[in-house]
Amino acid sequence: MANAVTPVSESQSSGEHPGGELESFQYNDSITRMFAAATVLWGAVAMLVGTIVASLMVMPKLFFELGPYGEFLTFGRLRPLHTNAAIFAFAGNAIFAAIYYSTQRLCKCRMWSDTLGLLHFWGWQLIILAAAITLPLGITQSKEYAELEWPIDIAIAVVWVGFFGVNFMMTLITRRERHMYVALWFYIATVVTVALLHVFNNLVVPVGWFKSYSLYAGVQDAFMQWWYGHNAVAFFLTTPFLGLMYYFLPKAAERPVFSYKLSILHFWSLVFIYIWAGPHHLHYTALPEWASTMGMLFSLMLWMPSWGGMINGLLTLRGAWHKVATDPVLKFFVVGITFYGMATFEGPLLSIKSVNSLSHYTDWTIAHVHSGALGWNGMMTFGMLYWLLPRLFQTPLWSSKLATWHFWVATIGILVYIVPIYAAGLTQGLMWREMDETGRLVYPDFIETVQTIVPHWTIRIFGGLLFLSGMLMLVLNFLMTWRARPAVYDEPTYTAARLGPYRDVERVAASSLEDKPVLELGKRVEAWARMDWHRSWERLPVKFTVLTLLAVVIATLFEVIPTFLIRGNVPTIASVKPYTPLELAGRDIYVAEGCFNCHSQMIRPIVAETKRYGEYSKPGESIYDRPFQWGSRRIGPDLAREGGLRSSFWHWLHFEDPEQVSPGSVMPNYEHLLVNRLDFKQITDRVRAAHLLGAPYDRELDEAPQMAREQAEVIAAEIVSQGGPVKRGDVLLIETQAVALIAYLQRLGVDLTRPAETDSEAAGDATTEEAVEDVGGGATAPDEDTPDEDDSAPL
Amino acid sequence: MADRQNDVPLDDVPLVGHAFDGIQEYDNPLPGWWKWLFVGSIVYSLLYLPYYHFGAPGRSVAEKYDVALGENMRLQFAEIGELKPDEATLVRMMNDPGWVKVGESVYRTNCASCHGIDGGGIVGPNLADEHFKNVREITDILRVVQNGAAAGAMPAWKNRLVMNEQILVSSFVASLRGTSPANPKGPEGNIIPPWPEPAAEESPDAEEANDEASADEAESEP
Repeated sequence: MANAVTPVSESQSSGEHPGGELESFQYNDSITRMFAAATVLWGAVAMLVGTIVASLMVMPKLFFELGPYGEFLTFGRLRPLHTNAAIFAFAGNAIFAAIYYSTQRLCKCRMWSDTLGLLHFWGWQLIILAAAITLPLGITQSKEYAELEWPIDIAIAVVWVGFFGVNFMMTLITRRERHMYVALWFYIATVVTVALLHVFNNLVVPVGWFKSYSLYAGVQDAFMQWWYGHNAVAFFLTTPFLGLMYYFLPKAAERPVFSYKLSILHFWSLVFIYIWAGPHHLHYTALPEWASTMGMLFSLMLWMPSWGGMINGLLTLRGAWHKVATDPVLKFFVVGITFYGMATFEGPLLSIKSVNSLSHYTDWTIAHVHSGALGWNGMMTFGMLYWLLPRLFQTPLWSSKLATWHFWVATIGILVYIVPIYAAGLTQGLMWREMDETGRLVYPDFIETVQTIVPHWTIRIFGGLLFLSGMLMLVLNFLMTWRARPAVYDEPTYTAARLGPYRDVERVAASSLEDKPVLELGKRVEAWARMDWHRSWERLPVKFTVLTLLAVVIATLFEVIPTFLIRGNVPTIASVKPYTPLELAGRDIYVAEGCFNCHSQMIRPIVAETKRYGEYSKPGESIYDRPFQWGSRRIGPDLAREGGLRSSFWHWLHFEDPEQVSPGSVMPNYEHLLVNRLDFKQITDRVRAAHLLGAPYDRELDEAPQMAREQAEVIAAEIVSQGGPVKRGDVLLIETQAVALIAYLQRLGVDLTRPAETDSEAAGDATTEEAVEDVGGGATAPDEDTPDEDDSAPL
Repeated sequence: MADRQNDVPLDDVPLVGHAFDGIQEYDNPLPGWWKWLFVGSIVYSLLYLPYYHFGAPGRSVAEKYDVALGENMRLQFAEIGELKPDEATLVRMMNDPGWVKVGESVYRTNCASCHGIDGGGIVGPNLADEHFKNVREITDILRVVQNGAAAGAMPAWKNRLVMNEQILVSSFVASLRGTSPANPKGPEGNIIPPWPEPAAEESPDAEEANDEASADEAESEP
């Protein structure tokens, strides 16, 4: 079954001088088998968790019978588990299987190191396991698709760069095929860019093993996160899958790829343009408007580069369409590439500011993402696996009929998933902005807009179940094919010439306009447009890698440098002060519970939105927010101006059971917050870390626990005076996490309109301290002057 | 251009002349529509950027928002102008079904989570019964809305809502009195006298008369 490489004909076809000495080698397919098995396993897990979180949105109290364990299984904690499992476990293992299988064959050599391959495999699975444990425990950085805490992030960097990256690059360097095929270009882009994105988005200051604060705050953190988040889609879910497509599609269709020129152009334009587009996730937010415009324009320019991949995929099937009717592998590929085309048309559409103002924070984004993830990544992975299984296990596929069933069930499942969710997104978006002829909100009650789309969410579960059941058919087919494997795998030995120095005379590209009456420049342009220059790049993997890296780095710097250096991007607001120690602790609980998965903290300058939530959010308001909590989806209402809006007891009741105060709410109970004790001692470390990052703390550095207790007493007294209990079980109200979280919620958004009284209070404090410390000095002299005076004395 | 390519029999298209693990590539040119849409998207971007960022004032998001907000305020309140925060206005608005609806919209956005969608009370007191904690006369409702009550449990809204909204929501709250909520909370506070009757006529004269009347009442109270 394996595609035998016949050394003689191959080396001729690549235009190589057959002078190099012949070498024998075998491919390492065992590593591909392992990654393929992991893909199938984690795929089933990711889709199962997806179905569970979808069910939780309709039945938020599903896990309440579990009692105290319910706290680990809320939507806010499981949703990141679903996204991480789908992206890094399912799609991740799939691209590794694809890369390990195809790179060896495209390079005519075994992977450089079997050991690094094994380290890569087991390291990656351990990381997935660590994610599956830490996320339900509430250990999270809260940045979407970068939730894992810093020790796991370091492990990811080591496994990705040290094991996978080195192994891949060394394989390229030791290859026996002179030129690198387009699939390899896309793999190169994946390897270098994912490393870059991962490292720079995850720069943090650790506070213990399980907690960290982002090096960036507010606007800058949001910018970095969506630079990362958008390009995770680009370089984890797009480029490696395009590479996969370029190898497995022509293999399965047995047709030449449609256009080599198109490959070159769409590869470089995709790599260069994608990296700019991140800010389209932050339209109308406090991100500077120029960055938002950049995000939109580069997304529009990205449309054709993306479609270049689709064209090259679909047109490669010309002359092979009759095979699509019978071959499930090609069926999966055709639908996968079609979904890629739809998703990459929809992406630029959603990046247009006015469209985004409707779609942002709604289920439209969720539908878009799933048409990409299920349609493109899922279907391409399935097609690849069905093509690989007989080759990896050296036995015919157990049931081709079941594979065809999988195809139909999955395709229908995707449609049953996305159609109601598109409708839900549009419906809710339109309801939020609907105003009547007198300029009033027609649906001022947020829960009304949620209740309208709950039926859509219910239908969506069935779509998810269909897709999951298709996945289980693959699991069965995988297991049965594996069981029929031979006792010993046949490992054919191939021979190919070692690459010597390149001795071919560089063909000077002669213009076809040579004899025509055209300017010399025109002739040169014509010759250049034939892109022979790219052939030499394809011979030089290191140069190619450096050029790719330059493309993404330069594009990144164009946006990063102004975002970080222009002070005008984040005008300072004098009344915005750092969080108190208790509020900081409460904020950490907010992050750990994953509240950001359902609640945004970013009111956009849109009238329907400010009427509902209050004055729009300003950049200067989130300068102490590490990480930022702007959110991306409003399953519940925005909380940017929640402070002072409701009584503390209301919040307490809301945590106990949201339906007590919000009938029809889909928020789960957070009863555990009412009985879990807050670790006051721990707050000191948190305050010091925040101080290190620039929060102007003073007394808080030494007295954080005591100050937190004082504020907790005030909040608890409020709750009790409003009818709340002094204790629940044997836990006093003032000791609970709920009080800290309420303190944080009551602080949200109040600084902007806070009168100057706090300033005078602060001044009052300072004066008192000076009076104590500075015995001889005048009461009005600033602290800094005192040492100067002391210094001057000896003179 | 794309059509022309499709017309060419497949085997006439030249191959690039190399193969990778058996995969070959055609030397097809770029599809024309693809090339020109790509160029078009770049040209569009080059026009969009200066239009919105180096062009005339009034094109930024913040400036457009201010205009839209002004229009919305005009749409809502052009008919009534700036309302006066006095008893006559509160009573007049309370008895105007159209404006009560406006007040209800403000109420449902901001107040319903504590006082219930029908005013029956949840954490906040029942607004539909005869008992009131911080209100003795109708203008006290506005005062509580503006400044809050119960040591902050009832927030102050004077910085969050514009004056007209404060007045209209107060009128709506006053109009709740005597209705029957689905799940009424028990009575809190004291029973207070009924709200004043509205002026008989709706004319500019009547409004003046109202003002005088309320002034009279204010005088008579002490």
